[in-house]
Amino acid sequence: MKRRSQRWGVQVARIVLIFAILGMFCVGTGWSQRIHIDITQPSFQQISIAIPDFRFLSSQSPQLAREMAGTLGHSLEYSGVFRPMDPRGFLEDPQSMGMTAGEIRFNEWKRLGADYLVRSSYEVRGEELRLEARLFDVFAGQMVVGRVYEGESKDWKVMVHRLADEILYAVTGERGVFDTKLAFVQVQGDAKEIFLCDFDGGNPVQLTDNGSLNLSPVWNSDGSELAFVSYKDGAAKIYGINVFSGNERLLSGHRGLNIAPAWRPGTSQLAATLSVSGSPDIYLLSPDDETHEKLVQSWAINVSPSWSPDGKRLAYVSNETGNPQIYVLDVSTGEKRRLTFTGRYNTSPAWSPKGDWIAFSGSTEGRHNIFIVRPDGGDLRQLTHGEGDNESPTWSPDGRMIAFSSTRQGDSSIWALLTNGTGLRRLTGEGVQEMPHWSPRFRGN
Amino acid sequence: MSRGFRGLGVFALLALVVMSVGACAQKGVPPVPGVGEPAYSGVGEGIGAGAYPGMEDVRWRELGITSESEKQEFLTKAEVFENRNIYFDFDSYVLSEPAKRILDEKIVFLRQYPRVRVTIEGHCDTRGTAEYNLALGERRANSAMQYLVNSGINGNHLTVISYGEERPVAFGNDEASHAKNRRAHFVLDY
Repeated sequence: MKRRSQRWGVQVARIVLIFAILGMFCVGTGWSQRIHIDITQPSFQQISIAIPDFRFLSSQSPQLAREMAGTLGHSLEYSGVFRPMDPRGFLEDPQSMGMTAGEIRFNEWKRLGADYLVRSSYEVRGEELRLEARLFDVFAGQMVVGRVYEGESKDWKVMVHRLADEILYAVTGERGVFDTKLAFVQVQGDAKEIFLCDFDGGNPVQLTDNGSLNLSPVWNSDGSELAFVSYKDGAAKIYGINVFSGNERLLSGHRGLNIAPAWRPGTSQLAATLSVSGSPDIYLLSPDDETHEKLVQSWAINVSPSWSPDGKRLAYVSNETGNPQIYVLDVSTGEKRRLTFTGRYNTSPAWSPKGDWIAFSGSTEGRHNIFIVRPDGGDLRQLTHGEGDNESPTWSPDGRMIAFSSTRQGDSSIWALLTNGTGLRRLTGEGVQEMPHWSPRFRGN
Repeated sequence: MSRGFRGLGVFALLALVVMSVGACAQKGVPPVPGVGEPAYSGVGEGIGAGAYPGMEDVRWRELGITSESEKQEFLTKAEVFENRNIYFDFDSYVLSEPAKRILDEKIVFLRQYPRVRVTIEGHCDTRGTAEYNLALGERRANSAMQYLVNSGINGNHLTVISYGEERPVAFGNDEASHAKNRRAHFVLDY
């Protein structure tokens, strides 16, 4: 796809996997090494990985040798699975060190404490970059994965993220989220506009620019369209915006509130709260044929639907007991069950992409904190602990991380942590940001 | 909001015309508010001062206002009407007794000027969740509207809109600020 010139939107880099390098013991090696790693478990130990500077094969752009190695290390560390080793402890000169299993002194790396080793070389010719990379299992003394990429040199970060994805996949059986983005709301004077940033908060771009209130951005399943709430036409209506073209369309413009959209996974339907019949109830909207049916109806406030990944159940907020609590609706049977019983203010449910958790924001001692709980109500865990207000949790598509808004350093900004409660990091910088929503992976494979 | 924005738009246009003609600035014409500024106006700003003198005489007559003194009376009462909010308890849209007394004052005004239209804005404090507060703000505006309608005010002249926690007027993180934000605000359109 051709790179677009506009400043907003999602831009697609042209990175091509040229071929996979096959090692001597390659058949089955990667698969047999792969283990299921559940980093939500407190017993989880991070895997140490050595990433020497990449080796440059041409005299062009030698600075990338260290920048690419650093970016790869940061990316792998970000995933929560790996602990990159300090390269100052490495013994060999990365510009003369060997590239293949036969040339690598695995015993030395073992002694340094490395579980895995990444060895890469690259060549820049004009605008083009060719990157060759191998992941070695230090204990087995074998290559686990080998890849050769080509693309434009300005897209080197995207290329390194692709490599990080492959490494995560080879070791854990689950890709990373390095090609994902977050949508969020940023305060712009009296207005609030929708922005996008990379998975780590980098590269923020403004998506809407209508000077009104724009809220609650949510990605559809293939990452091509965001639904959001806007007052640009006066009242709160739900719109869709194509993140590649910027084209907008009205998704729900009924009388009263049209808020809290949530795409039903894999479909063009949305759950949303409408007050068209007087009370804020949750409806299933089919914008393509302009129909809507009621899913949750009561005298109470019913908002913030979040679908289970199979699209069969819906977590949502209702204040039918007098204060907001989270409920789960079975859409086919209409049966609803209360999920939260602790605390008097539980909102913003977010069903995890594997379906195994529901994150939410709960008020404890006057502060909002992020919790996770099993969809059956068991195993309640508190992930943040009273530093500012922590709200609007959203899962990374691999289920390893939760992003949320937090006022822990003053103005609200977007933060993320691993689902085991560690690895807290701030994603957005200056300004006031809120309502993050994590995109799906953009790449099909 | 649409009415409010339309009002702002007309006003902005008026200001633009005044500027482009090169006439002396009309006394009391405030600076044009920025795009996206909330539709409500404080004392001496926007609707309260500069916009009314430009209104056609026929529109005053439609409101039943035929003299300058009646106009001044209306403007004074309209200002009070718009500046008197009603307030709510945390996570509540129940009308308190003081809130009902303020609504009773509004009913007196609306009976005197039955042709005016009112937008009732529901607002929340900044605690809590934005989406829940959008719904709660609508409930607050609806509570006020229902009270007015129950007292015989024409519901066709009343519009509700919720801004949830998106348009606070007090920015502290203390109960006094929160209390000021848990409000229904009334905007006149005539």
